[in-house]
Amino acid sequence: MNPWELIIQQPVINVLIVMSHYLADNFGLAIIALTVIVNLLMLKLTLSQIRSSKAMQDLQPRIAELQKKYGKDKQKLSQEQMRMYKESGVKPAGCAITMIIQMPVWIALYQAIMLALAVAPEGLLNLSKYLYQWPIVYSVLPLNRDFLMLDLAQPNFILAILVGVTMWLQQKMSMTIPSDSKQAQQSQMMLWMMPIMFAFLALSFPSGLALYWVANSVVRVVLQYRVTGWGGIRRKPPEATTDSEKKYLKFDASEMKKSTDDVGADIVISDTDPSKKDAYQPSKMSKTRYQPGKDRAQKRRKK
Amino acid sequence: MNLKGKWRVGRVVLLAILILAVSLLGFGCVKGLAPIGWSGGKVSDGTLFVGSREGRLVSINLADESRLWGEPLKAVSQPGLFGCSPAMGGGGCGGASSGVAVYGTPVVDGELVYIAGYNGKIYAYNTTSLGIRWVYPRESNLEPFVGGLLASQGKLYIGGDDGKVYALDAATGDSLWEFQTGDKIWGTPAINGDTLYIGSFDKKLYALNAADGSLKWEFTAEGSIIATPLVDNGVIYIGSFDRYMYALNAVDGSLKWKSIGKNWFWAEPVIVNDVLYAPCLDGNVYALKVATGAEVTEYDLNAPVSSRPAVVDSTVIFATRKGVVYSLATGTGEILQLADFEQDIDGPLTVYDGIVYIHTQDKLLQRINAVTGAVLRAVSLESKN
Repeated sequence: MNPWELIIQQPVINVLIVMSHYLADNFGLAIIALTVIVNLLMLKLTLSQIRSSKAMQDLQPRIAELQKKYGKDKQKLSQEQMRMYKESGVKPAGCAITMIIQMPVWIALYQAIMLALAVAPEGLLNLSKYLYQWPIVYSVLPLNRDFLMLDLAQPNFILAILVGVTMWLQQKMSMTIPSDSKQAQQSQMMLWMMPIMFAFLALSFPSGLALYWVANSVVRVVLQYRVTGWGGIRRKPPEATTDSEKKYLKFDASEMKKSTDDVGADIVISDTDPSKKDAYQPSKMSKTRYQPGKDRAQKRRKK
Repeated sequence: MNLKGKWRVGRVVLLAILILAVSLLGFGCVKGLAPIGWSGGKVSDGTLFVGSREGRLVSINLADESRLWGEPLKAVSQPGLFGCSPAMGGGGCGGASSGVAVYGTPVVDGELVYIAGYNGKIYAYNTTSLGIRWVYPRESNLEPFVGGLLASQGKLYIGGDDGKVYALDAATGDSLWEFQTGDKIWGTPAINGDTLYIGSFDKKLYALNAADGSLKWEFTAEGSIIATPLVDNGVIYIGSFDRYMYALNAVDGSLKWKSIGKNWFWAEPVIVNDVLYAPCLDGNVYALKVATGAEVTEYDLNAPVSSRPAVVDSTVIFATRKGVVYSLATGTGEILQLADFEQDIDGPLTVYDGIVYIHTQDKLLQRINAVTGAVLRAVSLESKN
């Protein structure tokens, strides 16, 4: 066995089998339980990821301002952005790093489920090399693959639909529709593309895997709700505007102030100590806050 | 939408396709997703019959190596997309075979040769032309067959994924009787006199009346039974998923002895000179005294053994799952490596006229001279070759 199999796959498989035994020989319940447990173990990372991405989304209007202001000076733009991230306590790479840390766990869980399901006879033979010398493991196998009148080794249409619905819900809650019509179009497309794609995949693979996807999405929806509420579900998408239309938008300074203040109020960063003096505070925004009087674009519009 | 907009949308679609492709490739990394098959060979009148990984019955004239292929077995309609359904050999997922998987070794009875497919059908072919004589069931499909057929006194016996033991008329394919067990059956039955022995996932070994399928007795182990029973001198030897090799009295199923290994006993053992050689998935071959089950010794083959060994005089030939073939001289206990095919070997080994035939996963029939240990030229089982 290679280190990946020895350190990651083998323990997960054996835990899954033992859990199946203690959950009334029900592999479906074992999949759900292990998905929830793994999510709980990675709760801190997941919450950090959700909060970071929310903070990043909330900073988008200010980033747009900076882009307007320093569009031609890339170096200055980059410096200003980094300064803003630092002030806000947002780590742009943090979100990606968290996902990278979580990825092996999800891959291991997926592989463990597929191996333990042993859909084909070759699968059962392969499974034998991962087993610990625990009598309980040997007495349970091959696992009972029936769950709520489903054969977890066969694709299932209802579970495939559930995969799509729960994934859409999770994405919808976490997404912010950008004001830029093109970006909004892309976001909308991804919002539908991923759930549809996974639903199709679920139709092609054992429903045990689909059950894992559904359980995982449901847990993520709950966590997302805890941090952002219904998020994108309740939020009204802004009316799509083209670039040419944007040039003639009437600027409302009070509205902008409100929105930027709200951004600061919403940001909750888990890996930044709130007691830190240099942490981002809405009241300290004067240096970087959008100032209508000094806005060149505004002047151009007046002309 | 302008050109730039279309390009952006195109990029999103491209990204989605890329994710899909990566996902599919990633899923392929888990071995054993799709059934491939591990049919062994059966020799009759100088012709070897084997189920190929293309889902065909192949006959090979051992004298001139001429080959004949039967019609490909018909797959069950696919419930899943991308050809990844477990119902057949799949298509492109996890090294699947290109046709219906065949696990059981063909059996020959008179002028007919029989195989059972993972598509839930049993086929009878003419031994000379490989023309289909009959199919059971004629219309629908049963659950997949993983275990092989047994032919005896004009009858065919087989256990299926639906947990049923089927007895058919070998000449016509008509159903004679059925017996329902508690779970799937993946093992091949064995017969001794008028008693049929077969193991099930429900942890039981059943002794059935071969004439009418009535239950004579049953023995319950602590783990599922997949192996094929070996009946010798009034004793049944059967391995189980509880890691025990059991010796049972054939008359009443009472336990004679049991011996534990470190993993499953998947393959059927063999007996040479009152010693039982039991290959195990822990990579060892356990040599046990048939009378008491006391361990004589164990041989470490460094890889799991799932294929039934072959016996040539007093030499036992073993093949590991990693494709390494060993010969064990039972008299001296000397073990020699004969070949390393670097291909999975799961199917039983076949011996005929001093030659050992091994069906490897690369769709070849490997041949080894059991006396000299020389590896002979392999025979391809692919129809296009």
